[in-house]
Amino acid sequence: MPFQTLRTWFEKKPSVEPPRKDRSQLSVGIARVLNVWSTHQFWVGFLKELGISSENIVFSSDTSEEQGREFGKGRGTVDCCYPVKCISGHYGELVFGQKKKINILLSPMIHSLPSLLHGHVVDTVTCTRVMAGPETIKAGFLKERDVFAENKIVYASPFVSLGDRHMVTEQLFTPLRDVFDLNLEETARAVQAGFQALDNFTAKARQRSRDILTWCAQNGKPCILVLARPYHMDPGIGHEIEGELQAHGYPILWLQYLPGDDDLVNWLFETDLKMGRIKNPFDISDVWTSSYSSNTNEIMWGAKFATRCPWITCVVRLSSYECGMDQPTYTPSQKIVEATGTLYFKFGDLDATKPSGGIKIRVETIVHYLSKYSEEIIQRKLNYLSPNCPLADIAARQQPSFKAVSAPAAAAAEALTAE
Amino acid sequence: MSTDRLVSIEPLAADPVAMKTVVAAESPRGASQNKICGLDVGSTTCKYVLASGDSHSLAQAYERHNTKQAEKVLEFLVHLETHYHLTPGQDRIFFTGSGAGIIAPLVGGKVIQEVVAVASAVEKLHPSVRFVSEIGGEDMKTIFFTGEASTKSKQVLMQSACSGGTGTFIEKTARKLEISPERLSKMRYEGYTLHKVSSKCGIFAEADANTLLKAGVSVEEIIASLFEAVVYQNLATLTRGNTPMPEILLLGGPNLFFTGLQEAWRHHLAKLWRERKVAMPEGKDPTSMIRVPDDALYYAAQGCVEVGLREPQSTGVYQGTDKLRWWIEEGQHEEKKKLGRGGLWKDPQELAAFKARYGNGDGNGHSNSNGNGKGSAKDIHSSLAQPVLPPIGKLGPVVVGCDFGSTTAKAVCLSPEKDLLFSCYALSRGNPIEDAKSLFRQVRAAIGEGEIVALAITGYGKDLLKGILGADCPVVETIAHAAAGLHFFPDADCICDVGGVDVKIMILNNGAVTDFRLNSQCSSGNGAFLQGVAERFQIPMNDMADRAFEARAMPQLSMGCGVFLQSDIVNQQRKGWQADEILAGLCAILPLNVWIYAGGLNNLQQVGKKYILQGGTHKNLAVVKTQVDFILSKIPEAEVVVHPHSGEAGAIGAALVALEWREKGGRTAFRGFDAIEKLSYKTTTSVDTVCHWCPVTCQRSFIDVELEGAKGREWSNVPLSSGWERVIVNNSCPKGLMEDLNEMKVVKAGIERTKNAFPNIADLVRKEAFRRAAT
Repeated sequence: MPFQTLRTWFEKKPSVEPPRKDRSQLSVGIARVLNVWSTHQFWVGFLKELGISSENIVFSSDTSEEQGREFGKGRGTVDCCYPVKCISGHYGELVFGQKKKINILLSPMIHSLPSLLHGHVVDTVTCTRVMAGPETIKAGFLKERDVFAENKIVYASPFVSLGDRHMVTEQLFTPLRDVFDLNLEETARAVQAGFQALDNFTAKARQRSRDILTWCAQNGKPCILVLARPYHMDPGIGHEIEGELQAHGYPILWLQYLPGDDDLVNWLFETDLKMGRIKNPFDISDVWTSSYSSNTNEIMWGAKFATRCPWITCVVRLSSYECGMDQPTYTPSQKIVEATGTLYFKFGDLDATKPSGGIKIRVETIVHYLSKYSEEIIQRKLNYLSPNCPLADIAARQQPSFKAVSAPAAAAAEALTAE
Repeated sequence: MSTDRLVSIEPLAADPVAMKTVVAAESPRGASQNKICGLDVGSTTCKYVLASGDSHSLAQAYERHNTKQAEKVLEFLVHLETHYHLTPGQDRIFFTGSGAGIIAPLVGGKVIQEVVAVASAVEKLHPSVRFVSEIGGEDMKTIFFTGEASTKSKQVLMQSACSGGTGTFIEKTARKLEISPERLSKMRYEGYTLHKVSSKCGIFAEADANTLLKAGVSVEEIIASLFEAVVYQNLATLTRGNTPMPEILLLGGPNLFFTGLQEAWRHHLAKLWRERKVAMPEGKDPTSMIRVPDDALYYAAQGCVEVGLREPQSTGVYQGTDKLRWWIEEGQHEEKKKLGRGGLWKDPQELAAFKARYGNGDGNGHSNSNGNGKGSAKDIHSSLAQPVLPPIGKLGPVVVGCDFGSTTAKAVCLSPEKDLLFSCYALSRGNPIEDAKSLFRQVRAAIGEGEIVALAITGYGKDLLKGILGADCPVVETIAHAAAGLHFFPDADCICDVGGVDVKIMILNNGAVTDFRLNSQCSSGNGAFLQGVAERFQIPMNDMADRAFEARAMPQLSMGCGVFLQSDIVNQQRKGWQADEILAGLCAILPLNVWIYAGGLNNLQQVGKKYILQGGTHKNLAVVKTQVDFILSKIPEAEVVVHPHSGEAGAIGAALVALEWREKGGRTAFRGFDAIEKLSYKTTTSVDTVCHWCPVTCQRSFIDVELEGAKGREWSNVPLSSGWERVIVNNSCPKGLMEDLNEMKVVKAGIERTKNAFPNIADLVRKEAFRRAAT
């Protein structure tokens, strides 16, 4: 197998510009889990720049019960986090379930994340359990025999702070240089290409969200915002609950890709800025002071965005069983959202072993309230805002007599101080 | 004395190595030394092994104790004293098993932890074993051995909180299927088609088995599927990342007695080893590496002997049976009083006050004083709380709400002023069209010249019948219940509906249902269980509450799994608790099962302060009392009310929704009494109507109704021309309401069209974020 090893790396002593290495035969498998759900394109861009061909970059499929049964059975490890537990199925699928065998299993331990709120919050780190998930799971594949070695797969799990771009090259170079036979320059290039690819995708998704909001604004129609962690987009983790609502005719936004354009956020947060309650539209210090966790920060900001944005008439919260990170955010996010009468529904404890509730009945319940109250909610929230909406001409729809200056902000603050 | 029933056991024939030791035991030299006895007091049987001081087996036996553990142990000890000269003050005795803790100290014995005991026996008898599965009546354990000789270590995993994967799980269902234990033990696993049986809960497995049976699946296949479920549950929950390596030892009653279970283990382990490329010792095939020793039952008792031998001579010296006799005759009854708690009420005044507020004699929720007398019930429509029926045939315009449930269909008529004018019901006969006709005949008789100005339906039938009846509002159950609850108690925070087979908890916030819990996976906490126990005690339903209130004390039953609750009840009976007291105990734990076990609500504070109780089970006043006490113990300032129209809440709520719709200018599409009466339909029940979504293959029926403007089903295997509407019945789950793949395609295409028109950002991520080619 044409597979670069430690030996070849040390033998080569490049004096000038090294020739581009041929990695076209190398196949890399990536577990489609956890925060890979928000850093996907970084890994694609990074690997492609290293010369891995597109068809040789393999993502495991979406999480599913079948995947767990077929590939993960008996390799489970003790972990209270269901999304982490599911990784064994993904690893198993990458090791045993590929037509063309992979050479490298890449499962990064992502320590921090790029974030729209970067610079306005204390930090953008990830949940430690999620970050260390690969460490827990690999044990199930090493415990008795080294399953990776047996299948001639190199297991690579670099620790990487994607939220601190300047650190990433170093962090990936050290653990991966033997795996891919890297040098520092090409690693730096690949990291740059990775961020480029990720930024492109994120920008595209944010624009799509803005398009949806624009359509809502022009037509006076409601949409739904999902407050969840990025991996709840995985059908096996989030169970496509938001898809059931979408099927009733409501566009769905996710907090991860809310538009952060100046014109829009300045309009939504105008009053708060004027009052000096926040310094910047992305400032969440008024509601969440210990702003370390990236996903948690964004959930709180998403709640603030939703309570102000007229066309988001309903927020759906998804949370996996016993998520310790989500626990302290339940009440604050709910109170913030409900401060302007925006509907809030939580699907908590997903995948708990205990029974919870029929999803169909709950979805029908939500749809009932959406159809009953959306119009009223849009109207009420429009009245809180200035007529200079960047999305559509709304002045005609507003009822100036109701134009309370800071009702949402005050209500939200009140709700929180009550906490 | 029933000594002749003791099973006499041949010398241990477990392993060639062990055999030798046992053969040697036949020499008489052991007799001179102090004997040592191991007793395993399990959840269903007692076992003993008597050995000489140098570990040679002298005698062993097992018997079912029928929940009389102490009595059976006494019987054993007397037998051992008489026949084997077990001598107090000289010989030693060691106990293990669930009943060991209470009994051992009474006879001077020492308790050895079960797993330690089993592991010791296995290490001695089968040094090459790497994995042990012991399945008991109410628990399951696995032991992994790693390393060799001095570095040998073991990892133990066990669970005993749920019936899934245990012996009870199989036996309970077998009893229901009327399979004798003898036949069950000979039934096979291999060669049968397997069906999906819930491996998690014994009560649901029973329900699954019933469904399979109804669908014509053979008893043999059902039992094979049960074996599959047990092995799956053991492997899924108790291996945690470890591969069971050869050799394997299967212990415990179920593993020993059920041939089919052994086959299931062999099948699964061999498959696992093939997949994981586990090498077999030369010349051995995988199935020979899985052993079930003939005396698999005795390993825990045998292990007690092994552990005992390593203990100092002064430990566990047998003290004779005096204390044990005292315990059986007196002690355990005193214990009963100590362990139990007071009855359902503190003093007669408290009970009287409770009854005055909630009771009004019948306790069935139809009176107007169901604890709602605090004046907080909305007063404006007091007539709703006490139906005033004008003479039949003289009602004015009405709004009709129908609730098509799984067992009954109900209808109510409200006046535009929200007065409840009429209510009626029809027992469901499996044909919703006939049920509807029956309801509307009753409504027509009641309203006479009156007119239906709006119609709403809720319950499972809402989607089926909407078009056929011309209903204006199909109302989801939660909304219907919330509307009815909020109408009477506008400040309610929570509606708790405990029916016969399910528990629904609706949490309200600002007048909207924000959270909803439905217990449908686990039988814990529902009313059918309570009813079942009452029936067993031959207490009529209507007397249940009064009998429970008669109890001055009651046993503390354990929350959780209904299967274990049943055996817990037998235990409590044995301790001398009477039917009344046990019923009281059951009522007392019902709130725990409802709120904590089934509802998952550990913190009621976050739910709110005002609670509405409804559903059939709350017609039992004793349950209402325990619910009220439970809620108040969590939230002293809480207010608990019983819905005045518990049974009709769904229909009333639907009618209220329809009324609101009408007030907003809705004009009814109700087809009219004549049209409903004249509804003509044809029923098809054939191979083409069988459901194929899952292996249960329900024999459904299609009821096709002639209806102007209906689309028909050209694509169906039972084609339907336009002008006809189809209603599917006799399906056992919601999936069966979808005819087949053809309909799925049609429905999916519709959903896709909607989804394309209303985008979802997650779809963009799912479709594009993992793309490797340039985007």
